[in-house]
Amino acid sequence: MKGDRFVIFLFLAPAFLISAVFLYYPFFENIVQSFYNTDGFFNSEFIGWDNYKRLFEDEIAIGATLNSLELMLYVAIFQVGIALVLAVMVDSIKHGVRFFRTTFFFPIVISGAAIGLLFTLIYNHRNGLLNEILVNLGFERIVWLTEQSSLYMVAIPTIWSYVGFYFLIILTAIEKIPDDFYEAAKLEGITGFQRMTKLTIPLIVSDLKTCLVLAITGALKIFELVYIITRGGPARSSEVLGTYMYQKAFDDGAIGYGATLAVLMVVIGLSLAFLTNTFLSNKDEVTY
Amino acid sequence: MVKKRSFGFLVMIMSIFLLLLAACGDDGGNESSGGNDAEAKEDVELRVVTTMAGTDPAGEVFETLLEEFKKENPHVSIVNESQSADAGTIRTKINTDFTSNNEPDLMFYFNTVDAEGIIDAGKVVNLEEAEGVDLSGYGEMLEQQRYEDGNLYAAPQTGFYEGLFVNKKLFEEHGVDLPTTWEKYEEAIKQFSETDIIPVAASTEDSYYVVEHYALAAGGAENYNATLADKNAAWAEGLDNIGKHAEMGAFPEDAGTIDLAMASNLFHQEQAAMLYEGSWAWGSIPEEVAEHVEVLPMPIYAEGGSTGDVVGGASQGWFISTKAYEDENKKDAVVKLFNFLTSEENILRIAEATGQVPAKGSLSDLPENIAAGHKMVDEAGSVLTPINDRILPEAFTLIRTSVPQIVSGDKTGKDVLEEAAALE
Repeated sequence: MKGDRFVIFLFLAPAFLISAVFLYYPFFENIVQSFYNTDGFFNSEFIGWDNYKRLFEDEIAIGATLNSLELMLYVAIFQVGIALVLAVMVDSIKHGVRFFRTTFFFPIVISGAAIGLLFTLIYNHRNGLLNEILVNLGFERIVWLTEQSSLYMVAIPTIWSYVGFYFLIILTAIEKIPDDFYEAAKLEGITGFQRMTKLTIPLIVSDLKTCLVLAITGALKIFELVYIITRGGPARSSEVLGTYMYQKAFDDGAIGYGATLAVLMVVIGLSLAFLTNTFLSNKDEVTY
Repeated sequence: MVKKRSFGFLVMIMSIFLLLLAACGDDGGNESSGGNDAEAKEDVELRVVTTMAGTDPAGEVFETLLEEFKKENPHVSIVNESQSADAGTIRTKINTDFTSNNEPDLMFYFNTVDAEGIIDAGKVVNLEEAEGVDLSGYGEMLEQQRYEDGNLYAAPQTGFYEGLFVNKKLFEEHGVDLPTTWEKYEEAIKQFSETDIIPVAASTEDSYYVVEHYALAAGGAENYNATLADKNAAWAEGLDNIGKHAEMGAFPEDAGTIDLAMASNLFHQEQAAMLYEGSWAWGSIPEEVAEHVEVLPMPIYAEGGSTGDVVGGASQGWFISTKAYEDENKKDAVVKLFNFLTSEENILRIAEATGQVPAKGSLSDLPENIAAGHKMVDEAGSVLTPINDRILPEAFTLIRTSVPQIVSGDKTGKDVLEEAAALE
């Protein structure tokens, strides 16, 4: 037993060391920097809670937080929702499962930057794909990225690019359900829709919860698609915490304030993960 | 028993790894004691960081120059750590290098607010007092490098200018007068907006040069040189003019979300008639389009202002690090390399590749449109340092990223300036 502990420690040590150097220490340093007015290099002045006071008065930060939360809502509902529907549909077909699995998973392997560029060229007003189609059909060009629409337009590629990930998790969960359950239900005269609502979904609820937690916490990290497609605009209408933090820290050299925004992101992320886990606790889980 | 054996096996594997790691460790100490001391003193390695890399056409010439220097000075080896200025990561690299005591010996970097911390920390030498440094042959561009403490820390290589790039062919085809006055500029916007041609290829968010030039047009040189703390009314008026012109249809419909590169593409594809850019933009304009393009100074309507004043200067210069200069082994080599790279002959070779204005001498046999740009600078009443290089980066970002809100009517130029000034 004692020997086992030593081996466990030995195997955990590299991972712990790497986490300590590349995660815990920078995170601690990030919290320290948030109390400084600093460019991260030569100019550094301790300013106490001033960055936090500024954060609560900063209209752009408040707007970016609300946009991030809105985007999170879309991501949680549609990424997991669409993935569930697709997984149930693919599970119910006899041929072509591999084809659909590959097709739906494909966007995951494309880098976010490439997807961003792809959708930039789709939405572009003058020479974009959508407007070229409209012009060829005899319609006027449309400005796709307006103050009202920009967040939705960014949500579309965000949802599309990650649906495949949740689709695969859910499909694997569905495939794990023993056939006996379905056979027994068939004898009871279950319909296709009932099969999904009464059998499949209750049996994969714990996997769905995992997907939801991943989607919610992952939504806070959305950066490259917004940065490339809308640059947070027009007029900050699609600014999210990730893009605003990047702008402050790296474009403006305001590392101190950027670090404060990063702390806000971590606090929101942890709180939401905690809340999601609490509300979706596994009390009534069906196991098999 | 099996457990015990596997544990022993594991320990053995780990010991082998440890031995391997130890074998890979630095044994430089032993080597230096066994080497030839006299030879080691003579051999010098210099680290150079510049922005002449990536898509910068100067990169190739710079590499050639380094090779030539090494041939002439076989005891000097040079590590060229240049990287493109495009993504702004060069700033992070330089700052990280200097704060971690790993500074380059020679660097070609922004002599703007970006270098203030480095200069104030005494990390680079005052070139006028540095022994052996040759600053002869420079024109007024050298004076523009003088720091607020009266010392010279950077020697320029080439100068740049910003201006209004116009596609003369499109102006002729549509019977529109070139925008040599403010009235003609507004008339050109009006006339082009009635056609399929976009008047000005611009991003209202990535709007560095638009903001600079509109402030210049509204205030002339005197107001342009104001500080942000002044909350100059002409700057505010310039910002409001962007909103007014957006309403007239001056910019692309999606100007609030495209970046400068995307906007420039419209000009490159002859879908837009005008573009605010810097002299470096010549390199990216397709040859068949460039032959119809001319650069004009911003038409200034301000009272007392005169059209012809140009935004420009030399925002980058060669710096020698104090650490290299104070190192007896490196001092001569780094000064020699500095003098070699800033000699008139070599400055002209680099300027020739980029089409920029050389800090020493002048270029001959230039294409007509590029020569016209150089002439514009020569004839300029004054060459003004960009606002972007003078004020807090955070404040300028706020100004330029707020332009879409001015366009949508949510803010006025005055509101934006007040917000920006509060950041300083």
